[in-house]
Amino acid sequence: MQINFGGREIAIKLVYYGPALSGKTTNLRSLHQMTTEGSRGRLMTLETKDDRTLFFDMLPLTFRAGGSAERAAGDRTMTLRVKIFTVPGQVLHASTRRLVLQGADGIAFIADSQISETEHNAASFLDLRQNLADLNLSLKQLPVVIQFNKRDLDRIRSDEEIAALASRGREPVFKAAAVNGAGVLETFFGLLHLTWTKLDAEHKLAKMMGVESSQLLPMAARQLGLEGDVSTLLSACVGGNLDRHSKVPA
Amino acid sequence: MTAQTPDVRAEDVLLDGRVRIEDLVDRDGLDELCKSFHALFGIPVRVYSSEGALLADAAGEQELCAYVNTTPEGRKACSSVVSAVRARDAGDSGDLVHPCFTGAIYRIMAIEYDGRRVGRLIVGPFLPHTLSEPPASLAGVDPGISLERAKALLPKMPRAKAETVTRIAAHLKAALDLILFSGHKAHVTSTMHLASVRESYRQLEEKTARLQEAFDRLKELDRLKSNFLATVSHELRTPLTSIIGYSEMLAEGMAGELRPEQLEFVKTIHEKGGQLLSLIMGLLDLSKLESGTMRLAMRAARIEAVLGEVVSTLTPTARRKGVELELRLGDTMAELRGDPERLRQVFLNLVENAIKFTPASGSVTLRTRMVADDAEGEQEGLSLLAPTRSRLEVRVEDTGIGIPPRERARVFDPFYQIDSSSTREYGGTGLGLSIVKRLVEGHSGTIRIEDNTPKGTTFVVTLPQAAAIAAEGQRDTG
Repeated sequence: MQINFGGREIAIKLVYYGPALSGKTTNLRSLHQMTTEGSRGRLMTLETKDDRTLFFDMLPLTFRAGGSAERAAGDRTMTLRVKIFTVPGQVLHASTRRLVLQGADGIAFIADSQISETEHNAASFLDLRQNLADLNLSLKQLPVVIQFNKRDLDRIRSDEEIAALASRGREPVFKAAAVNGAGVLETFFGLLHLTWTKLDAEHKLAKMMGVESSQLLPMAARQLGLEGDVSTLLSACVGGNLDRHSKVPA
Repeated sequence: MTAQTPDVRAEDVLLDGRVRIEDLVDRDGLDELCKSFHALFGIPVRVYSSEGALLADAAGEQELCAYVNTTPEGRKACSSVVSAVRARDAGDSGDLVHPCFTGAIYRIMAIEYDGRRVGRLIVGPFLPHTLSEPPASLAGVDPGISLERAKALLPKMPRAKAETVTRIAAHLKAALDLILFSGHKAHVTSTMHLASVRESYRQLEEKTARLQEAFDRLKELDRLKSNFLATVSHELRTPLTSIIGYSEMLAEGMAGELRPEQLEFVKTIHEKGGQLLSLIMGLLDLSKLESGTMRLAMRAARIEAVLGEVVSTLTPTARRKGVELELRLGDTMAELRGDPERLRQVFLNLVENAIKFTPASGSVTLRTRMVADDAEGEQEGLSLLAPTRSRLEVRVEDTGIGIPPRERARVFDPFYQIDSSSTREYGGTGLGLSIVKRLVEGHSGTIRIEDNTPKGTTFVVTLPQAAAIAAEGQRDTG
């Protein structure tokens, strides 16, 4: 996280991690499609000609109290800029993954639900842990959510199995089929919720932004052009510690 | 684009993402873009950076403005309007109108990128759609200004509806935004690329350092091993000498006459003791060579003497096996600097090996000749250097079982044998060739293996000469 008092900006970095071809970029594309312009910027993708992520993808989101229309010169409240990155999944881009991970405030681990990918998920998670260790970070300190993607495919790990695993794990788990948008917003808001709760507790961000802590998520949803209740999105979570830190905002 | 400073961190680029138009857009290209808008719509356009620097200017002077500027007060008033426009922020809405006393107006609009203001677009001066006459304010600026003249020049100024200007500006901003995005993307990519390369380099350096450490450690262990080998061999030799000595005395009957069976047993003890001793001596030689403590007694040596001795020593062995052993000396012989004892050891070993691996009715041939030092890339001045650089080559050719090409480098490793079953069949410890190689290298020579077509192996030893001398004729020794 960076706080820039001069520019009245708070910047938060969320990273979508996971094995190659698990759907990290697809998550960002869907998120980009399902939200409206204004709060979200252009999706920047840096990919090779075979559609594999070369360095990263980046989707910037900007939230400010009262919405973008309210920008009086005397307004001293801060703007929250959320940047979502994906890492390149292919093994050979190890150094790029570590660079993208630098300074991450929260991580969404995008796992592939296919039974055949179970080992790749595990290997990538260990890789994440190692890279964080190299950066003097640990999974214990970081907000992490797990997404089991590709629920629309055959030969995937069953709902029961995921529910059983999730109930024992620390991380909130979301199920998704990012290619048609299912579970994408849920995962994002789950991660934003965890990250915001932690950073706000440490740095009093809500006060700087001039909002109630509990109002950030509903505000973000509104500014992204989403209708309905954020808590509905968060309730899609299976297991994990999503509610342990704070109440889900109504 | 400004040059990237090498210490930009990827993290800063990724999270901060603050962009400056002047960093991302080519100045001349931006100027051309604005000029094409000016040519298309006839309305002057300027682009300023957020710090107020003029980045692009597509605005010729209007005739009315030129006329106003001919009067002293008019010039003053004009420049004050121009500087006010330049200094003015686009306001909260990011779009405002700034009037001129001529009745023309300027539109000042914010250029935004990624939710931040990065510059201003100034469109104008142009006439509002509704204006038909020069305002009275124009005449009031300077008494020298004629309203009639101004009225005649007024229609030459571009005229546009507010919505039209809004549309044109939006179009220009969209084009600019695309350029900024593309530039930003390229900027981020190259920064990331640099950072990735640096990160990979850092990793490689770390790995290299670790490997170097491990390598140093292994070298130290290797040295300890050689020391251990030397000590143990030395300690083994002492009691063994007694075993050999006493068994010899027993065999010679110094402790009384032995029965034939007893004599046979004692001779076996003596023979095996001798084998063990040569193995231990080999180990000692090897460890001395490895630790660099072997001293070669270098002096003038003649290869024909060394080889002659080797051949006469091994001729009985060859005869027993039915192998023909032949020495063919070349017509030019060189005097060597070397340790004749050790050179003899080298060729004894090679010839003994050759006989061992050559079946009956085969042959082992030693050939010598002088060869030019034909190192690659050293052809310059060959005619001057060749006489001093020529080397003596000794070839030990056999018609034996041969050595597969992929094994040729490894046979010189200590204890290496092509196939462990050959130890049982042919005997040997696997030490001989590693000692040979080190001894040859100790003489600044080389050793390699070639085929002996159609069958067998050739060991080629080259040794540097002390000075080339001519020998007469070719001598054959059977």
